Amino acid sequence: MSPRLRGFVALALLLVPVWASAAPKKLVLVFTGDNGGEIAPCG
Amino acid sequence: MLVLDAGNALFKSTDIREEPTARARAELLLQQMEAQGYAAMAVGARDLMLGVDFLKARTKGTKFKLLSANLTDAKGQLLFPASQVVTAGGLKVGVVGVSPPTGPALPQAPPVRGLPVLPAVSAEARRLRKEEHVDLVVVLAAVPYDATVRLAQDVEGVDFVVQSHEGRGEGMAQRQGLATLIPPGERGRQVAKLDLSIDGPGPFVDLSESTRARESQRMVENNIARVKERLGTEKDAAQREMLTQTLTSFEERRESLRKLADAASAGKSRTHLLSYVQLTESVAADPAVQQRVDRIEPPGSAAH
Repeated sequence: MSPRLRGFVALALLLVPVWASAAPKKLVLVFTGDNGGEIAPCG
Repeated sequence: MLVLDAGNALFKSTDIREEPTARARAELLLQQMEAQGYAAMAVGARDLMLGVDFLKARTKGTKFKLLSANLTDAKGQLLFPASQVVTAGGLKVGVVGVSPPTGPALPQAPPVRGLPVLPAVSAEARRLRKEEHVDLVVVLAAVPYDATVRLAQDVEGVDFVVQSHEGRGEGMAQRQGLATLIPPGERGRQVAKLDLSIDGPGPFVDLSESTRARESQRMVENNIARVKERLGTEKDAAQREMLTQTLTSFEERRESLRKLADAASAGKSRTHLLSYVQLTESVAADPAVQQRVDRIEPPGSAAH
């Protein structure tokens, strides 16, 4: 095995377990829209 | 958490002469969006009533950005940034804003021009993926609904499209071809909350199908318990036969719902779940903000 190929294999071994064991990333997106100039609940 | 506005936030109509308090309202809204930590907003037709210079002056130096990938001046130069990249929850999010194209949905006089929506969004989404290496792309689309559907169906590299223009109100997340369309609510009556979970590449899967199946499963469980209770006391043979058949039917239904719920969520690396938070009077007002609102719209006034 060439040194370059060994490098790729080592990199793959390093990266795969990290991805496999990492917890899912969580994100909350909050959206508003079409407010139409409202500034008060009954306005 | 990342807070975004799909546009058309600032003015009630496209005719400023109908609104004597319009400027004060718009200024308060822009200040509060900055204060409340909004990251960005798309520029919609109803945000342009006091002109581009008004918007630029009131957002100069703010963290909160106004975005539009297709609004240009007479020379074809973009009037606002096309997108913003925000890191939140360990994810790099590309946020693109888009406005209506020149035509009936954009009544502003020249020199403001609206370029065609799809090419503008497509180019910016591609740039965000290739150059910024974002994890997901959200488009704030302040454009008519039919154009938004085409955008979601046809533009590659977009995960979510949040639409404003007609004030369609709340609704369900709809998968439209390549992306998912999200209704953000309207008139400050509610906020849309989209919970994301990302555990690798691939398309997003809507968890609401699984959630609805689990809710139905719980209702069927309650019905099963009631039928079993009646079976425990029923002496009449015909009635017992009928109850036994009902029980079998409920148990079959429970099993099919369990399978549906498991299939909808199992093995999916990217999921989303849309819900709404209603901003009723049970949500307490900030007294300082309320004072400013009352100065613009005194309690008991026609606008209040």
